[in-house]
Amino acid sequence: MAKLIHLRINDTEYDVAVPPNETLVDMLRYRLGLTGTKKGCGLGDCGSCTVIMDGNAVNSCLVLAVQADGSQITTAEGLETDEGLHPVQKAFIEHGAVQCGFCTSGMIVSAKNLLDKNLNPTEAEIRTALSGNLCRCTGYQKIVEAVQSVGK
Amino acid sequence: MLLPRFDFHEPATLAEACEMMAQYGAKAKVIAGGTDLMVNMKKKLLSPERLVSIVRIPELKKLDSSPAMLKLGPCLTIATIAASEEIGKTWGAICAGARALGSPLVRNRATVGGNIGTARPAGDMPPSLMAYGARVVLSKKSGQRVVSLDDFFRGPGLTEIAPDEVLSEIQVDAPPPYSGCSYMNLSLRSACDCNIVNVASFLTLEGPGGAIKSARIVLGCVGPTHRRAVTAEKTLIGQKPSEALFDKAAGVVAACAPGAETADCIPIDDFRGSAEYKMDMAKLLIRRTLSAAMSQAMKQ
Amino acid sequence: MGDFDVINKGAPRVDAYAKATGRAIYVDDMKMPGMLYGAMLQSPLAHALIRNIDTSAAARLAGVKAVVTAKEAGTAKWGVSPARYDETVFCHDKVRHIGDNVAAVAAVDLETAMQALSLIKVDYEELPVLLTIEEAMAEGAPLIHEEYPRNITAEVHQEFGDVQAAFKQCDLIKTTSFVNKRQDGAFLEPQGCLAHYDHFGNLTLYSSTQSVHYVQRTVAMVLGMPIGRVRVVKPYVGAGFGPKAAANHLELAACLLSIRTAKPVKMNFEREQVFMHSRGRHQFFHKFTTGVKKDGTILALDHECYLNGGAYSSFGIATVYYAGSLLGGPYKLANMKYDGYRIYTNLPACGAQRGHGGVAARAGWEQQLDMIAEELGIDPVELRLKNMLIAGDVTCNDLNTSSFGMKECIEAVRDGSGWNTKKGKLPRGKGIGMACGFFVSGAGYPIYRSDTFHGTATVKLSEDGGSALVMSASCEIGQGSDTTFCMIAAEALGITLESVRIQSGDTDFGVDLGAYSSRQTLMTGHAVKEAAEDAKRQVLEVLSEKLNVPVQDMDIKKGAIVFKRGKPDISYLRTAYIKEHRGWTDNPGSENELSFREASRIAFLSRGTIVGTGKYKPPELGGKFKGAAVGTSPAYGCSAQVVELSVDEDTGKITVEKMTDAHDCGLAINRTSVEAQMQGSLSMGLGEALFEEVKFDKQGRLINADLGEYKIPSALDMPPVKAIIVESNEPAGPFGAKEVGEGAIMPTIPAILNAVYDAVGVRIFELPMTPERVYKAIREKKEKNKGN
Repeated sequence: MAKLIHLRINDTEYDVAVPPNETLVDMLRYRLGLTGTKKGCGLGDCGSCTVIMDGNAVNSCLVLAVQADGSQITTAEGLETDEGLHPVQKAFIEHGAVQCGFCTSGMIVSAKNLLDKNLNPTEAEIRTALSGNLCRCTGYQKIVEAVQSVGK
Repeated sequence: MLLPRFDFHEPATLAEACEMMAQYGAKAKVIAGGTDLMVNMKKKLLSPERLVSIVRIPELKKLDSSPAMLKLGPCLTIATIAASEEIGKTWGAICAGARALGSPLVRNRATVGGNIGTARPAGDMPPSLMAYGARVVLSKKSGQRVVSLDDFFRGPGLTEIAPDEVLSEIQVDAPPPYSGCSYMNLSLRSACDCNIVNVASFLTLEGPGGAIKSARIVLGCVGPTHRRAVTAEKTLIGQKPSEALFDKAAGVVAACAPGAETADCIPIDDFRGSAEYKMDMAKLLIRRTLSAAMSQAMKQ
Repeated sequence: MGDFDVINKGAPRVDAYAKATGRAIYVDDMKMPGMLYGAMLQSPLAHALIRNIDTSAAARLAGVKAVVTAKEAGTAKWGVSPARYDETVFCHDKVRHIGDNVAAVAAVDLETAMQALSLIKVDYEELPVLLTIEEAMAEGAPLIHEEYPRNITAEVHQEFGDVQAAFKQCDLIKTTSFVNKRQDGAFLEPQGCLAHYDHFGNLTLYSSTQSVHYVQRTVAMVLGMPIGRVRVVKPYVGAGFGPKAAANHLELAACLLSIRTAKPVKMNFEREQVFMHSRGRHQFFHKFTTGVKKDGTILALDHECYLNGGAYSSFGIATVYYAGSLLGGPYKLANMKYDGYRIYTNLPACGAQRGHGGVAARAGWEQQLDMIAEELGIDPVELRLKNMLIAGDVTCNDLNTSSFGMKECIEAVRDGSGWNTKKGKLPRGKGIGMACGFFVSGAGYPIYRSDTFHGTATVKLSEDGGSALVMSASCEIGQGSDTTFCMIAAEALGITLESVRIQSGDTDFGVDLGAYSSRQTLMTGHAVKEAAEDAKRQVLEVLSEKLNVPVQDMDIKKGAIVFKRGKPDISYLRTAYIKEHRGWTDNPGSENELSFREASRIAFLSRGTIVGTGKYKPPELGGKFKGAAVGTSPAYGCSAQVVELSVDEDTGKITVEKMTDAHDCGLAINRTSVEAQMQGSLSMGLGEALFEEVKFDKQGRLINADLGEYKIPSALDMPPVKAIIVESNEPAGPFGAKEVGEGAIMPTIPAILNAVYDAVGVRIFELPMTPERVYKAIREKKEKNKGN
């Protein structure tokens, strides 16, 4: 009943046997140990589980792992390169955009996805792009400022 | 939250998908983006034995527009539609509906076919599509049929799609000259929200400054399905567009008392709002969308 | 302000790197060999007697390792306040709300555990369901807890001064009512825990909590273990805002299951369970009667309040006291009467949430003050400036403000928002409003009666010299306390922030009451400062012995020893230090300076590990009347806010466009974090003002127990926030610091209420200000105007 899938996560190839009813977030977290992707609601409401799947940020709690067969996935753990932190990560740290940190992984992944598509987003574009990533701590101000600083 | 157990199938073509649905029928559910279906499954409201995933079938992801018609593959994501200039330049209200749906994360995964197929009375895609007179193609092993969206919705979560059918295309004719269409929605939050009321209105004028030749007003959240405000539409035909006329049309909607045979707007009290408020907002959004549709039509 | 090297600046948080890279470990990220998964069986009924529980089928299911009910857990009572212990781990006689805990299962995986729950058969006998205060207090209503007549958890009756006599002196007496809605904490990380009972009989509980101390105490008490055998550790926590400040059933069940299976057991709440079990903000029904003189002087307040508390007390006693005690300030008010009632109902219990007890009261009363200002023809800013407390004032209920930058806050938001050019001058549909607030900087007394220190801290210098480790049981839950304490320790030791590390959130590190009542910066901060100074003193004592320089003639600044009266010959010490490091290169410091690294190494060589300890307990605070303790604090933060917004009169929809906030935090240890606390508070206030409401149906079932239908603000709903830090140098605070985490929420809701009135001329007396509620108010006003 488990299905063998193949995917590329953070530039590493994975072959994984997953039952059909396993979500992508559960596979990442509990099967592959990629716990940087968080689970806040399980219903696609909060965005804590955001990953980039084939170029687009999605709620990984609403993606079946088997539906991700053959996909390219980027998680929070995959943003660093050999050169160090991704500029969005640096900006979040420097601007105080991190508080409890539970939304941070998803928020940073969404911000990266935005900047991949739009190098110089306006404040409104940033707020729209992050509107599926709920944060209860920051009031979003420093998050928006952090993303703006990278865009410039 | 765990999903109930099911078998998973991923057909490569529409024909294969139809084959599977013919075989499994009501025991199977078609899944595309899954943003609605998986929520219902996690909440244990649905527990299909099998899921047939169509989201990666290339022929169901086509976007095809000609001067006469727009054809949307059901598996086009809402994000793709929201950002499509090709759609936006002729069918702008469809893009407006897409932009209003959920959050960017949901839009990247949710599909237009899914938003129609789940038949939620508050859905963001149906009003504009219905206002443009869209049809859906329902395919099965033995052939296909074309159904107007007007006749498609049967109730909350219920549609014309038979257990052996797959929604395989959405067709929208190009609006005639001097037409305009507008979609507006009212919700509590600015994102990730379920609408309190949503409305799309479509108008075609006889010519610049001419009378209204045809009108379609579609209401969401104020009945078990999205529905046309037929009586209000009738009051518009043959009349010169004006704010006073739009006011009258909105008034007609309200005058059709709940329970009446011809009732177009039958909101209920629920935790999102009272029937009374929804009625008032439906009237307001009718006026506002008609007005916006008129300005668009006049510009041509 | 003083001249500081580390504090009072903006600093990146010490945990930001781990969090920004996904490396930070939260409890559900943990895994242990042989770990089992637990799940709770919860009542489907709001009020029912339990006739029988049959767990046999569940216990027989393959993969199930333990099934526990009250039979196994016992019926030891627990809760938050010892005066109202009214909970057991599992219900044994009856269930009191939907979601009440009946049994728990541990199994090899979550799927099996969930399946086992479905096999447990419970026979219930339904009882009448009491959902409202009226139903619960009605004559002859069944009692939810036998011990509490009329279902009153607690009632408060206080009078300070003579309110009736004062009313006779008043030129204007105004009465209004106000009601908020039950608010959920909606922190993004659901509660979860991992219990591990080892073969030596020691229990370790990892939990997403705001207070390892209270959880340790509760677990030991309920499970009958010596406290020393229970260790509670807090990994990274995805925020709390109050609901995670008390022990919860999940923790107790996981510990019990781990003890019975001798395996680690992990348990998590689903989001729906967070709504059922995280005890957030109560619903308050307030009535205020305020009397003022023509010139705006506030003379008297008569305040009545009913709280719908839900099925258990939780923090409820404190809540009903706070609702009264924290209202009169930030104003001079000689006469105040308060009657509060906290009522049991068959809803999930409420508890403490950011701005505990005070938020709805503040909202309703600050709106009433706005109405009074208008009737008297006084600018709302002026009314507040006229009445505000100043440093040194003591309120009528004996709260002592040792610092109070209220004036600076009001002036800062007035000037920062352009109030004078906008108030009364905006076009219809646009509005501006202001309000003030204040809050405790740590509760003056622990939740249980005790002479315990509220916080202890240890600063250990590394034996090789040069760096310091802060150890504390305080709880970093996102607010930034770890960074604050590293900064305080670095400043006090005289070394750089980079040389300080922290280990916190572990009962092995001492006693700390935890992250609630905005207490950690002031209280734990004191303990950390004292510990760092103690370590520093020891280093300087060794130097004094070695160099023959009196301790008081030396200091440590920026990682180097400062000799105030001429530098002695340090070559002997330097040689000793270099000898220690033969064979590898180590920079002992510049030619002329003796570095802290050298000094602390030499101190170790002389005395062994250098460990500084610190502790903090507030002085005796408050009056002698019943309940005088609640509301006391060593210091009070205060704030003022201006909100600008627009209202779509046709839909009633409010769009908040700009918020200007000023908060007096005494001294900002980390300026970035202070701003962040202000911005976050405002967003929670905005959510409560406009969107948030936990809703139930007539059976007491939650109908919006998810983050889609329970709506907290998104990035598109929050306007830009201008955060202005005001500093008043609190004498009772470490380096002058006091709270910011909760006080900042106080003015938000009333500032929005007052701005709505400015925009469209309606007063809203019920939250949230949904489009429908505002629309109806506008329509009613129009109809009334027509009638005139």
